[in-house]
Amino acid sequence: MRDTDTHEHSSEVSDSRDTDGELTDVEKEQQIDYLDVEINLLKPATPFMRDHLQIIWLGFAVWTVTTFGPITATRIAPDLMTTTMPAIGFPLHYFLIAIGAPSAALLLSVWYARKRDQLDEKYGIEQMRIEQMETTTETASEEIATADGGLE
Amino acid sequence: MLIGLLSATPVVAQSEELLPEGLDISFKLIPGVTVVGMMLLFLGVGYLYKVANTGDMWVAGRSIGNVENGMAIGANWMSAASYLGMAAVIALSGVYGLAYVVGWTTGYFILLIFMAAQMRRFGKYTAPDFVGDRFNSDAARALAAVTTFLIGFVYALGQARGMGLVGMYVLGDITAVVPLGGLSAYQAMMTLFMLITIGYLALSGMLGATKNMVLQYTILIVAFLAGLLVTGWSAGYSTVLPQIEYGMLINDLSAEFSDPFAGGSYYLWIATCFSLVFGTCGLPHVLVRFYTVQNERVARWSCTWGLFFICLLYLSAPAFAAFGTALYGDQIGAVYGDPGMTGAAGDVIVVLATQLAGLPTWLVGLVAAGGIAAAVATTAGLFIAASSAISHDIYANIINEDATQRQQVLVGRLSIIAIGVLTIIFALDPQQPIAALVGFAFSLAAIVLFPMFFLGLWWENANRQGALAGMVSGLVLWFIPMLNEGNFGLVNGGDGWGIELLTTWMPAIGSALVATPLVLAIMIVVSIVTDEPPERTKMMVRQCHSPDPMPKDKTAADIVAEKTHKTPPADD
Repeated sequence: MRDTDTHEHSSEVSDSRDTDGELTDVEKEQQIDYLDVEINLLKPATPFMRDHLQIIWLGFAVWTVTTFGPITATRIAPDLMTTTMPAIGFPLHYFLIAIGAPSAALLLSVWYARKRDQLDEKYGIEQMRIEQMETTTETASEEIATADGGLE
Repeated sequence: MLIGLLSATPVVAQSEELLPEGLDISFKLIPGVTVVGMMLLFLGVGYLYKVANTGDMWVAGRSIGNVENGMAIGANWMSAASYLGMAAVIALSGVYGLAYVVGWTTGYFILLIFMAAQMRRFGKYTAPDFVGDRFNSDAARALAAVTTFLIGFVYALGQARGMGLVGMYVLGDITAVVPLGGLSAYQAMMTLFMLITIGYLALSGMLGATKNMVLQYTILIVAFLAGLLVTGWSAGYSTVLPQIEYGMLINDLSAEFSDPFAGGSYYLWIATCFSLVFGTCGLPHVLVRFYTVQNERVARWSCTWGLFFICLLYLSAPAFAAFGTALYGDQIGAVYGDPGMTGAAGDVIVVLATQLAGLPTWLVGLVAAGGIAAAVATTAGLFIAASSAISHDIYANIINEDATQRQQVLVGRLSIIAIGVLTIIFALDPQQPIAALVGFAFSLAAIVLFPMFFLGLWWENANRQGALAGMVSGLVLWFIPMLNEGNFGLVNGGDGWGIELLTTWMPAIGSALVATPLVLAIMIVVSIVTDEPPERTKMMVRQCHSPDPMPKDKTAADIVAEKTHKTPPADD
């Protein structure tokens, strides 16, 4: 594996400084040692965490609507929500709950994982190169001992 | 009896003896062979994998790809509750049942955004390990171990009920052949399959065969989807996409199937869904999957893939419920009202639907075998987690610190027997359907464990006192509605206290809606008024949030120890 001490990035992200000489988010981030910053969900201490939490809260808000929205709307406007949908025949509320909510969660997951990858890119965080990923996927079929399977 | 779950439901008849009406109960050779074959295959392939790569399974093995890990997540998820219980609750309680579909899928998104990657970085994956290390407390570790044990036990009750009911289709009524001291057909079958589970457990232990989750997922999903597809096809309800085509059938079914609040109130729906979502984020056997990946990016993507594989099953279960309801209505009698479909028939609706559609025995048997195999494999996993919580976290860590390996193994085995016997006793007369029984375990995880993980990872000032106060009050808060509704038959011979107000606003199945915020609040207040946790603990939490990649064989504690040039804590 790579060197563990990657806190000081040898910045390949040679971002331009802001014109007035202030540090960009990326540069600020590089000067931060995470072991010294306070972790509080409501008070992100670093530019990276601020960006990350923005995504998290946005996703969470949309998730709340797609998960609890349909049933709530059905409670408020039962007649409207129980109308039969054209072509597929579902009552609207049934479709939104049984198919809409799980699919929305799946799409949101893809959206979040993508966003987070982009964030990695912005801050020059390298997880694992593509080639490495591929070789691991090939050798990955090995099933490992897990807590529920790790027998004595 | 069913007050809590189905208070707003038209009476769901529950026969004294669990006997699914309409199910063909007789000995069938091919399905029996299929069940045994499936389980032997799980064991055999697991064993081959073990032989193929010995040694550094723990360290080097922590490198599974997105898709594989996603399938493993799906396999972990496929218990009798998903396979049998969900279609049952949808068939019996209509839209209320969909709260299970929504809760058991959408929870993964919350897990993904708040916990998957951080958990991977923390590097401690069982609840007792995490809680013990994060809050520097053996007492907290013990509480988490007790909770893990309880979750395993309650979860297993649902699995046992599923095995017993479906087992009757496969092997028939064995009490007709060998009278077993007045046991009913269900009780005899449940006991038999619990013994088989213990045997499976012992065998996989001896072979060192960790379950091959990818294979397990594939077999189970194929059995389920093939059953659905053929049922829909031969009954003429659907062609190639039953997951959407059942929509056309809904208007022909009784109104109870799709009436919004016929099967449970709005509040009950929200409470149930909430419990299941946050229970997902607190369940030890879900979180463990993030330890097995090479980096946080894979943790995130495999969580996403896991949700995909789970959705395959969960988008299909309502279709199965719809077909089953239609076939039952045509061939057996009215599904709703009095007498209506019993809870027992509901719990086997997946098997019943394929049988009523007139499919050949081997195909019905395949679906039935899938249900049993899912229950057996999940129960085996739960028992291992529960026994390691007892032998490792309580016995070796607290009771006897000088315990030898032998002693630990002995205690582990004894605790497996103990939990097995407990499960059999309490599953002799299960008062709730599979989904509800498993739902109680989710409430427990959501109330006691989720706040520990969530605040533990996202708020560095959460401390030992807060965690202890939170877990103790959480356990109490979980027990109150359980006893109030008479679950486990412990209070008033199973009638419970029956306090109306509690039953309405804090139903056991959805008690987390009230209790989880309470536990979070207690934990926050107590943490604020007591001393802050030590700097080293805080640094561990910070390390979980750093965007810098971490080597895959390191935990947050190792990094902190390196940074501060101290050795990792020898003991918590």
